[in-house]
Amino acid sequence: MAKTSMSATHKDISFTLNGRPVTALAGNHQNLVELLQEQGLFGARESCAQGLCGCCTVIVDGNAVSGCLTMATLVDGADVRTIEDTGADGKLDAVQQAFIETGAFQCGFCTPGFILMTRQLLDEHPNPDEDQIRHYLAGNLCRCAAYTEIIKAVKLAAKKRKG
Amino acid sequence: MTTDTLGNSNAGAAMGRSIPRVEARAKVTGRAEYVHNLRLPGMLYGRIHRSTVAHARITGVDVSAAQAMPGVYAVYTAADIRKLIPEPYFGPAFHDQPILAIDKVHYVGEPVALVLAADPHVADAAAQQIVVEYEELPAVFDEVEAMTSKAVVHEVLKPAGTFPDLKHLKDKRDTNVALDFHLRRGDVQQAFADADHVFEHTFRTQQVLHLPLEPFVTVADPAPNQLVIHTASQSPSFVRIEIARLLGWPETRVRVKVPYLGGGFGAKLYIKLEALTAAAALIAGRPVKIALTMEEQFYTLTKHATTLRIKSGVTRDGKITARECEVWWNGGAYADIGPRITQKSGFTAAGPYDIDHVTIDSYSLYTNLTPAGALRGFGIPQLVWAYESHTDMIAKALKMDPLAIRRINILREGRPQATGTLMRDAGIEPVLERLAERMTWEKKYDRGSGTMRRGRGIAIGFKASISPTTSMAIVNISADGSCIVYCSTVDMGQGSDTAMAQFAAEALGIPVERVSVVHPDTDVTPYDMATLGSRSTYHMGHAVKNAAEDARDKLLALAAEVGLSAETTPIPDIFRKKYGMQAGNIIGIGSFIPPYTPPEPGTGLTTDATPFWMIGATGAEVEVDTETGEFKVTRLVNLVDVGRPVNPAIVETQISGATIMQLGFTLSERMEFDAGQVTNASLADYKIPGIRDVPPVMENEAVDMVQKTGPFGAKGVGESGTFGVSPAIASAIDDAVGVRLTSLPLTAEAVYRGLRANAGKPLQD
Amino acid sequence: MIPFELAEPRTLKSALKLLETDDPSVRAFGGGTALILMMKAGVFQPTRLVSLRGIEKRYAKVASSKDGSLRIGALTTLSALGRVAAVKKSAPVIIDTLRTLSNVRVRNVATLGGHLAHGDPHMDLPPVLMALDAQVVTAAVSGSRTLAMGDLYTGYYETALARNELISEIIVPAQAGRRAAYMKVTTRAADDWPTLGIAVSLGVEGQTITDARIVVSAATEKPLRLAAAEAELRGATVDDAVLARVGEAAAAEVELTGDAHGTAAYKTELLRVYARRAVRKALAA
Repeated sequence: MAKTSMSATHKDISFTLNGRPVTALAGNHQNLVELLQEQGLFGARESCAQGLCGCCTVIVDGNAVSGCLTMATLVDGADVRTIEDTGADGKLDAVQQAFIETGAFQCGFCTPGFILMTRQLLDEHPNPDEDQIRHYLAGNLCRCAAYTEIIKAVKLAAKKRKG
Repeated sequence: MTTDTLGNSNAGAAMGRSIPRVEARAKVTGRAEYVHNLRLPGMLYGRIHRSTVAHARITGVDVSAAQAMPGVYAVYTAADIRKLIPEPYFGPAFHDQPILAIDKVHYVGEPVALVLAADPHVADAAAQQIVVEYEELPAVFDEVEAMTSKAVVHEVLKPAGTFPDLKHLKDKRDTNVALDFHLRRGDVQQAFADADHVFEHTFRTQQVLHLPLEPFVTVADPAPNQLVIHTASQSPSFVRIEIARLLGWPETRVRVKVPYLGGGFGAKLYIKLEALTAAAALIAGRPVKIALTMEEQFYTLTKHATTLRIKSGVTRDGKITARECEVWWNGGAYADIGPRITQKSGFTAAGPYDIDHVTIDSYSLYTNLTPAGALRGFGIPQLVWAYESHTDMIAKALKMDPLAIRRINILREGRPQATGTLMRDAGIEPVLERLAERMTWEKKYDRGSGTMRRGRGIAIGFKASISPTTSMAIVNISADGSCIVYCSTVDMGQGSDTAMAQFAAEALGIPVERVSVVHPDTDVTPYDMATLGSRSTYHMGHAVKNAAEDARDKLLALAAEVGLSAETTPIPDIFRKKYGMQAGNIIGIGSFIPPYTPPEPGTGLTTDATPFWMIGATGAEVEVDTETGEFKVTRLVNLVDVGRPVNPAIVETQISGATIMQLGFTLSERMEFDAGQVTNASLADYKIPGIRDVPPVMENEAVDMVQKTGPFGAKGVGESGTFGVSPAIASAIDDAVGVRLTSLPLTAEAVYRGLRANAGKPLQD
Repeated sequence: MIPFELAEPRTLKSALKLLETDDPSVRAFGGGTALILMMKAGVFQPTRLVSLRGIEKRYAKVASSKDGSLRIGALTTLSALGRVAAVKKSAPVIIDTLRTLSNVRVRNVATLGGHLAHGDPHMDLPPVLMALDAQVVTAAVSGSRTLAMGDLYTGYYETALARNELISEIIVPAQAGRRAAYMKVTTRAADDWPTLGIAVSLGVEGQTITDARIVVSAATEKPLRLAAAEAELRGATVDDAVLARVGEAAAAEVELTGDAHGTAAYKTELLRVYARRAVRKALAA
């Protein structure tokens, strides 16, 4: 293994985190989930570590990504949004409300990922049919298997968004 | 300020309400507390070096390269652990599992050494630098072979002292049988001789595992006077007692705290990472966190693979007169709770049928695989798979309808189960009848045509509660009339915090919104056996109800003492009259242990095997592609008896979730092994159900029942949805295309091979 | 993971220069989704990675000609590819394939170039692009070359790309009324690596098939054209008998590999059936 200095393997990065500017020293070998943990945010969770379960979903520059497959240094300059982006003011959005009303979670570990992905889905398809819902959320796993309730929640959230 | 009075009629009726989970907001905002979130000052991360062979003597461990890596704080092996804990063996039934491997390894993935570092990446890299030399020993992997194998996993059995029925196994040598349970009722051999027909079939289930999306995680903090363990555990009280035993400390020097769990399903029971994390933290003098990866869960705990042989004597009109069951449970390298499963579930192996002559032989076996434990059903889904498949195979042979044969044979209210215990509040008949109704079973069914054939199947199972076990609870009424419940039931997603709040509110007659539930903390919340086996609603429900009633009685007494009417005075006014200001508490305590009569040794008979019965049934419809064997489950109808549902919406989610989990065990999940090495230890290669695997039609229903001995008529629900899934689907496939599968998982290839075999052209490899 | 250096060049030229080394622990990546998995699994430990994300934007764009041919920049993400109207028009089979290719988050990041260069025989687009007769344009310090998709793969996880060579562009020729389909067969969960992939592209005149390309993947060490099955279709009017011969020919001409998804014998039976079904699906497209 070649000898490397800290400056070559780490980078000072600045990015916007949930609307606020942030700076951090990140290692190239660290992923976005670890970076967020260092910022005190634990809503994105590394579970399967392979981008399959969606527990680590983060929105980077408007696109949903798997935090566990995203190198931390690559969010330099990016707009990063997590599940903690809303709710702090006590106001839940239509998707969160719909998840509560339909009981679309049990242990809650995968829930942030499902909520973030549902928002993306509804941004792209405000009126999704069941097939679209199933395909869009195919990359999120729920071991408690609240899937039937999640499908109901997405449909309810679509309705709520339209007011 | 509340104006609620005790038993305010507007406020009561918490039972049976579908209120959202009490922690709903925290979960949808990503702020729910999990051990995963916890970081302590000075905390080190632990990474485990694991065995690469299935069965071997350890001839050398070289940790020098790992120790020399910059950033490594320490590397520990069993020798280091033994300086702190001379006898570092743990387990709920047997003290057979070492904290780190001692002299031998017993399965691939067994922890051999631990690296500590402040940077988890450093710990990870260093753990890979450890070199262990092995002298390999013969290994055994199959549960039936383990009965007679020359390869013996443990030289000596080491039952824990706590279970009287395991005492005879102490110091037993050279056997892989950790426990054998036998039930003898009537004269089976004579009944077979007298029967019109005798049928015998053998069934298999595969190794699968829990895979909670929050993998195992524990933090141990060696504070000066107390060791604090933050852990994702379903059994905080057990962890405290067992860690204290290992260290030779009083229980009070160990404090176990459990926030929410990101799923449990039986994985996070008893001791898993806690002993290793605690030992490492004490040796290092620093807080230590060990968080397993998804892959490492494959090396921690599985569900028992089983072989089940079942033989029945039947009259020509379909009455089952005798049944003989043999069950071999593949327990893996450490017993965990396997011996309990072998007995407590084993005694239901003959099914929910009224049979005069029954024998059951149930064997818990050690093998050189990842240890097996309880997984959502405590062994019941394996048994139901066998006896319900067997029932339908008998029906087919007798040209009987699957519903008709069940109607003839089911255990009805008041009849004795195989142990002799009478069935009480066991809705076997209503569940079966309601399932038939929802499936419109007696109407003509379109079985498709051409290359697409349809079929349907039903299956019903039952389960006893694990007994006798204890729950304790405290209910604290504050001076403003709000109330806190202290109990050690762990909310791992099943909604127990919400249910306990509803029980307390119902008992006190106050709004459920005024009740909060404290997370398990052994310094604060009293003893509970564990959150397992669908026991919490019944056992802890009783304890909370008793505690709330105790608090209520004390509040009534306080009101009387100060000359107020508790019925008409708002609760805060009672406190104010007594203490002159908003001050004071009322503390109610409650405990619960159900009655129980242990089975007679030898016969396994008892008049009181369980405080309540859980009933679950599933109807399945499938479409089979006759050209490829591919099939789709198009509809699942799930019926359960949960007594009176505490929270109907959460109950429905439990039924549905349990069913889909079992659907994974039925269709897609299978641990693959090569010489004991798991070859698909990832979610890419071990396929759990995703949203596209959920059948288009899912119907869930709790039949209208009341568990008269239950708290407000309730009983457990977490497992019942799993019971009937596998055999119902297998029967539906058989109904569609005449292929009967007897091994799980049910694959398209197996169906295809069956079709080819039926056509007299078996597929050649 | 062990710390490593990360280079973020601004041009393809400087990226290629950084790859002019014999050190196998230096590698380039686009989305990085596959590479990071290899690093996590310990299969690959880099000393230096070269991120291609910052190079000229034109390598992430899709250009189309009037005849419907496409030039797809290798850094186009799979999600972006799926949103291009010209792709939808010229090669809808690509859009259809993307629907079950991995998941939204991976498609948001993974690039077409990386998808093709990885050499994994379970990937879905290599057989599709082979059936569409696509070509890849590569770049290296020593120069550029154009390869037929069929020549890109040399074996199991092996490609014709040199270590210092990158895919820069993918050319999909005008399809001129051809009809295409891809079928991904999974045998465990619905979302899984394919047990078998089969891509079909047909030239059709009236009721007659003038030309067929059929590619099988996932159960083979690399995507393979099925020449005998193609021959059964050439000049034929499709009916059940022709399709049966296509299936028989496909099953006879290729040896499939068994694994946890199914035995070789079973996969051969799947191929026999799905070769037929894929032709039907293409004709209906």
